[in-house]
Amino acid sequence: MKKFYSACLVLLFLLSTFSTEVLSQLKIEITQGTKEPLKIAIIPFNRALGLSESSVLYKVISKDLESFGEFIVIPPDSMLSLPKSEDEIFYRDWRLIEVDYLVLGSIQNPSIETKDINVTYSLFDITRQKTLYRGIIAGKTDSLRILAHNISDRIYEKIKGISGIFSTKILYVSKPSFLSDNYSLKIADIDGFNDISLFSSTQPILSPDWSPDGEQIAYVSFEKGRSSIFIQELFSGKRKSLKIQPGINSSPSWSPNGRYIAAVLSKEGNPDIFLYDLKKDKWIQLTDHYGIDTEPTWASNGKKLLFTSNRSGTPQLYEINLKSKKIRRKTFEGSYNARGRYSPDNKNLIFIHRQSGLFHVASQNLRTGKIKVLTETNLDESPTVSPNGNLVIYATRKEDRGVLAGITIDGQTKFLVPSILGEVREPSWSPLLK
Amino acid sequence: MEKIAVVFWSLILCGISGCTVGTFFERADTERPVVSTSSQFYEEDEIKSLDTIYFDYDKSNINPSDIAKFKILSEDLKKDSSLKVRIEGHCDERGTREYNLSLGERRANSVREILIINGISNNRIITVSYGEERPVSAGSNEVSWSKNRRALIKIF
Repeated sequence: MKKFYSACLVLLFLLSTFSTEVLSQLKIEITQGTKEPLKIAIIPFNRALGLSESSVLYKVISKDLESFGEFIVIPPDSMLSLPKSEDEIFYRDWRLIEVDYLVLGSIQNPSIETKDINVTYSLFDITRQKTLYRGIIAGKTDSLRILAHNISDRIYEKIKGISGIFSTKILYVSKPSFLSDNYSLKIADIDGFNDISLFSSTQPILSPDWSPDGEQIAYVSFEKGRSSIFIQELFSGKRKSLKIQPGINSSPSWSPNGRYIAAVLSKEGNPDIFLYDLKKDKWIQLTDHYGIDTEPTWASNGKKLLFTSNRSGTPQLYEINLKSKKIRRKTFEGSYNARGRYSPDNKNLIFIHRQSGLFHVASQNLRTGKIKVLTETNLDESPTVSPNGNLVIYATRKEDRGVLAGITIDGQTKFLVPSILGEVREPSWSPLLK
Repeated sequence: MEKIAVVFWSLILCGISGCTVGTFFERADTERPVVSTSSQFYEEDEIKSLDTIYFDYDKSNINPSDIAKFKILSEDLKKDSSLKVRIEGHCDERGTREYNLSLGERRANSVREILIINGISNNRIITVSYGEERPVSAGSNEVSWSKNRRALIKIF
C-alpha cells in the first residue's frame, strides 16, 4: 500500500514536470505592492496579424514586468490609440492616460521550418518624449518565453538602470509534505515556469548554491547516511561528492572566481569553516574555534567571507578577511543573527534575525550598522538575493506549509510564491545567466 | 515485487528530469539506502533497539531524568561487544537549517559523551546530525517542536 501511495506521488510529480506550461509549481502573488508603480503600455506586437507568438510575447513580458509590483501594465482596451510604428505615436495620447513608458514591437517572419524568429522593439519615455532604446533579438518559436524574458530584462534595465532578472533561475528543495521522506532538488525559471527535478532522494537535501558561471550547482545530500557535499553539472547531470570528512560536511558556497567552495566541516569535533580547492581537490581550514562556525558566504569581490558563529554565546554574523585571516563581528543587535548574505554591492547584509521569539529576514547597512527588519512572516529561513540586488526570496511557513516568499530590498513590495504541489524551501537565486 | 519497484522508480526518476544515464544510476542507488559510515555499513532492518531522548529549546545537554536510561543501555552494550551505536541528533524547525545541523551534532555528541562516561568505547559509536531535516511531528507549535528536538540511539 505504501508503495502504491509513493508511486502515486511520483506520478503527480511526473505530471507536474511534464505539463509545465499548465502547472508550474511556483507562482508569484503580490501581497503588498509598491506605493507608486510605474505605468507601462505594451502594444501587442503585430496585432493585426493575430500571430500566436504575439500573444505569448505580450503575456510573458507583461507578467514579468508586473511580477514584483514595480510596474502596472495598461490593458490594451484603455489605450487611446494603437500605433503600428514609431511615427504613429502621439505622446499626448499616453500622457492623458498617465502612462510613463511605451513599448512597441514587431515580429519578423516566424519560420515554421527553422523555427527562427526575429523581434524588433522600441521603448519610449512618455514624460521626456524620447526613445530610450531600440533593440532586435533573434530566437526560436519554440522558446518564446526565453525571448520574452530577454526583452523584459532589457526594458527593465533601460528604465531602472539595473539589470533585469527575468531570465534568471531559482533552485529549491521540494517535498510532498512536511513529514515526507521524498526530497527533490528542483530548478525553475524565476517566474516558476519550466520546473524540472535535478536530483531526488529519500534522504534530506539542503543548501543548494550556484557556481558563478551558472553551469554547476553544489548542495548537501544525506544519501550516504550523513551530510556530504555534491557538485553537479546542470547540462549533463554529472555529479560527484567533495572529499568526505568525518562529521558534518555542509553549507557549500562557491567562490566568485569558481575555484573554491567554502563549507563547514566538523572533523575536529566541532564545526569550522573550510575552503575546498576544486583544482587541487583538497580542504584548507579557515576558522578554528570551539564554538559553532557555519553558513559561510562570499563577498562578491572574493576577498571576504561572512559566516555565523556562536563564539560570543549567541549566533551572530562575523566576517573573515581571507588575506589577513582577521575576524570581525558584524552584528550586535539581538540574540540571533544567522545565515547571512552580502548584497551584490557589498553594502548590506541580508540575514535571519530573531525578534521577540520570531524569525524574520532583516538587512543591515554595513556603513551605519543599522538593522532593518524586512518581513512580517515568522519562521523565515534561507534568504537569497537577486543578482541585481533588488529582491530577496526566502523560505517561510504559511498555514503550516513550507512556502517561498519575497520582498524588494527597500521593504516596499512583498510577495508570496506559494507551491501548488507540496512544500518548498531552500531557495537559491542564480547569477545573471548568459 | 522489490525488483519491479526498483525498475518502476528508476524509470520514473529518469522521466522526471530527462536525465542522462549517469545520474540515472546514481539515483537508483539512493532508493534503498545502504548507509555507509567510514568502514561500517548498516541497514535500517539491522537495528536491534531504538531509544529516543528529548532536549530543551536551543540546548544540547542531557536532561538529568534521562541519565539512568544510559546506565542500562551501557550495561547491555557491554554484554555484547559486537554491538555498535548510531546516534542521530535532531532539532525543531526554528532557526536556520545549517545552524541547526550544528546544534543537532552537539546533541548527538552529548549522547556520545555520556556513553563514553559509562564505559563504552568511542570507536563503537557513530554520530550523525540531521538538524531540522527529519521531523517526526508537523505543526509550528511547542507540542510538535518538543517531539522534534531529539536524539535517536540506534543499536545494531
